[in-house]
Amino acid sequence: MAKAKKSSNNDVVKVDFDFRRQLATKVEGNLASFCYQCGACVGDCPAATYSDEFNPREIMLKVLYGLGEELMVEDSVLWQCTNCYNCAERCPQDVKPAEVIISLKNMLADLGIYPPTVEKIIGTFEKTGRTTPLSPAVDRQREKFGLPPMQPVPMDEVSKLLEPAPGEEETE
Amino acid sequence: MKPFAFFPGCLIPVRYPAMEFAIRQTLPKLGIEIVDLEGASCCPDPIYFKSKDKLAWLSVAARNLTLAEDLGLDIFTNCSGCTATLSEAYHLLKDDELRDKINKRLKRIGREYKGTSRVRHVATLVRDEAGYDAVRESVVRPLDGMKMAIHYGCHLLKPSKIMNVDDPNNPTVLENLVEAIGATPVRHRNWYLCCGKACQHEGIPLNMMHALLSTVEDVEAEILCLICPTCFSQFDHGQVKVSKHFDYDFHIPPVYYFQLLAFAQGVPYEKLGFDRQRFKPECLQRFAESSVHVEG
Ligand code: SF4
Ligand code: SF4
Ligand code: SF4
Ligand code: SF4
Repeated sequence: MAKAKKSSNNDVVKVDFDFRRQLATKVEGNLASFCYQCGACVGDCPAATYSDEFNPREIMLKVLYGLGEELMVEDSVLWQCTNCYNCAERCPQDVKPAEVIISLKNMLADLGIYPPTVEKIIGTFEKTGRTTPLSPAVDRQREKFGLPPMQPVPMDEVSKLLEPAPGEEETE
Repeated sequence: MKPFAFFPGCLIPVRYPAMEFAIRQTLPKLGIEIVDLEGASCCPDPIYFKSKDKLAWLSVAARNLTLAEDLGLDIFTNCSGCTATLSEAYHLLKDDELRDKINKRLKRIGREYKGTSRVRHVATLVRDEAGYDAVRESVVRPLDGMKMAIHYGCHLLKPSKIMNVDDPNNPTVLENLVEAIGATPVRHRNWYLCCGKACQHEGIPLNMMHALLSTVEDVEAEILCLICPTCFSQFDHGQVKVSKHFDYDFHIPPVYYFQLLAFAQGVPYEKLGFDRQRFKPECLQRFAESSVHVEG
């Protein structure tokens, strides 16, 4: 078993319900509550296979204990997940560790913490409505294949969707 | 011809127009009419923007789906990432509470999500709406004897409860599509592995791709056939990195399935943009002449 809590007294684990409540406001953020720590999600997890630091069962355990401070850090282990969903296929409890991990990343984003490459791509999307930037060379290439030039995304519409409405976040 | 709304996403039209060209060439020959979606944005991507804010992500995805709803058409994508986002949005928005929440945002731009346009990847669409026999009949130069490994990638099949496409542990859809163009699909031991693109820790994807490419080489495949532009860039650009890192020269051209289909349907090799790949599927050239012998 992994050490769940860096505590001076190993027998006492204090569950931080605040962290769990916050996670539960994210779409499918509360799924970890159903985790019974069987470890079925680990066997086919490629990140766990190739990294000693990453283990979806341990991440779910940290969530159950509310050990947010170990996950809400720069260079968080969460970013080692490949989003492959093998864990969700294997979980007998329908926990979808992949989705819980994305919800945790949403919490990281609330704190303004992103890996630089991720922040850059998000920026491109929020500015242009696409993750891949356009350039005149793009349209020249398209023309070679008889394809019309790219059209700009109607950002007046898209931008309006990005702001939350007051009090709209999910509750458990 | 049956009409479907085409959601091209960003990566294919912007970076890999040859793939879009191939889609536009091949589908009409299978009885599928392509209807373009005006005003679509990024799906948005299921790795980066989704990690920032799932509700905003769902709202933008829902807006894209309403564009197809306006036309009264089902939607198809050409990228596994777009398939993941739009399928997941379609699935999650069956929940009344969540749909209400998203519709409150859509109201700001005078739109409403109804849930009437189904989402499929183009590979699934071809299987369901045209069928493998139609693919076989459209081929004028079958790629006889060519061994092809297949990279399913993650989001065509998984999460399987949302995608509902095929058995994620033993899928057949891409094998059947490869067979339909005359080639021989070969399963490699690491077929289940993903490319690791979403992982922000370089060592992990390098190891994953190394493991995968090694087993593709073991089965002596001439091409790694795939259906997603992100998987493609990982195995094209990424293969150079893997070769350097492990000091081993891999030479496995990754090719998008619909470019192979276009070639098999008779589109000349030179028109399919292969010159822009780092690993070119020159093995296809041995069929270049065979388009003359159309079988009755
Ligand atoms: S498979 Fe599901 S229940 Fe088992 S440890 Fe993983 S998340 Fe928890
Ligand atoms: S999606 Fe699940 S199985 Fe895949 S890398 Fe992430 S935790 Fe592991
Ligand atoms: S999944 Fe990728 S290609 Fe598809 S729309 Fe999103 S970012 Fe663009
Ligand atoms: S194989 Fe890579 S690019 Fe393809 S779907 Fe999986 S993670 Fe995404």
